[in-house]
Amino acid sequence: MSKDFNPRILTFACNWCSYAAADLAGVSRFQYPPNMRIIRVMCSGGINPNYILKAFEKGADGVLISG
Amino acid sequence: MQLSKQQIDYCMECGVCTGSCPVAMELEGFSPRGMIKRTLGEPDGNILQSRDIWACLSCSRCSDRCPVGIDFPRFIRTYRNKARQKGNLPKFSHHGQFHTITAIQAKGVKQDRIGWAKKAGKICEKGDYFYFTGCITYYDVGFKYLDLNMIQSAENNLLLLNKTGIEPVVSNDECCCGHDAFWSGDDDTFSTLAEKNMKTIAAAGAKTVIFGCPEGYSMFREAYTEKFGSLPFEIIHITEFLARELPNADVSFKSKVKKTVTFQDPCRLGRRSGIYDAPRDLISLVPGTDLAEMEHNRENAICCGTTAWMECSSCSKSMQKDRLKEAEAAGARMIITACPKCQIHLTCAKKNTDHNIDIMDLGSFLAENID
Ligand code: SF4
Ligand code: SF4
Repeated sequence: MSKDFNPRILTFACNWCSYAAADLAGVSRFQYPPNMRIIRVMCSGGINPNYILKAFEKGADGVLISG
Repeated sequence: MQLSKQQIDYCMECGVCTGSCPVAMELEGFSPRGMIKRTLGEPDGNILQSRDIWACLSCSRCSDRCPVGIDFPRFIRTYRNKARQKGNLPKFSHHGQFHTITAIQAKGVKQDRIGWAKKAGKICEKGDYFYFTGCITYYDVGFKYLDLNMIQSAENNLLLLNKTGIEPVVSNDECCCGHDAFWSGDDDTFSTLAEKNMKTIAAAGAKTVIFGCPEGYSMFREAYTEKFGSLPFEIIHITEFLARELPNADVSFKSKVKKTVTFQDPCRLGRRSGIYDAPRDLISLVPGTDLAEMEHNRENAICCGTTAWMECSSCSKSMQKDRLKEAEAAGARMIITACPKCQIHLTCAKKNTDHNIDIMDLGSFLAENID
């Protein structure tokens, strides 16, 4: 794998915890790598396997579920 | 196959199809005869908006009995692609994950598709025989929640093939045969997959392709030959191959427990490919096993309730439960089948019920009873 591999990571973040945390990171002006794209979900329990597979089908290199 | 207007014109409206259809028995208003009539009247009419075009299981009970040989499931399939273009989609089962897995395979993905085979038996990279594993490697992961260890069927098939003295090619580049894409009207995905598989088999230099799954076998038999003309290799389903080779092989069987079993004819193996005897011959190789036939068997067998990972409904469930009851009524303690999907669907239907019957695939049944 080349050193400058920039993976595209899709994140499903729970509205009530990790999305709030990501929001707080933004408000506090913390920097984090732009490889991560966030989709807010109302509950991480509502994620089904096909969300993850679809992300890979559409070109994501990794999927992070946080909740 | 797009049936020509003339072929459809042969329909005598006798209604044998509707009378034979397990869906029509459950789903009010569903009628293959009626659908033919509707499409004849208005080929681009509201049939494309209807839910009925997705409800057909392509189980082929109707076409098997039609006096003028109209292949209704193939006929209705040709409308599915058009219906998709008009935004009428099927309801995908299991959140659509298996269709996505198919789409990912069509795009191309680095797979580990042969890890199981390296552990389970002897395989090679090039050779006369190619074992077409099918998507069971993916089902293995998807159906852990049913306590199914799907990969075991492939492992046991490989073990039996090794017993007959062959070391088949099992390829990491194999991909889904396209069955589910084909029957759900996704013609582009089917074409891409079919082309990939033809290249993979050619690269392996195989003269004979042995299919572990009836769906793959029926796809090569019908849809691949239609697309590519006659195939440059022989195709054979594993039940036929084993029924031919095992009696001469250095292997004998002994029933660990005497029991009565029954056989669920998969639609793709039975009515769509005409293979009824090979699996029964294989069961009879195990002494002490009684094969009891269900009330509906062979050409009259009833489908396991859904196909192509779509439209699982209360209708599917009631067909599956009836099938379990039929098996029990025949006195069987085990349903043996030769299709991973029959195994999955019947196991799912059995869950949380009082039915006390095992469901097993044929390869695993044979492997379990090797002396
Ligand atoms: S069984 Fe054949 S001829 Fe009879 S109604 Fe159905 S399609 Fe027409
Ligand atoms: S293929 Fe099966 S489900 Fe479809 S119309 Fe014929 S009998 Fe009914």
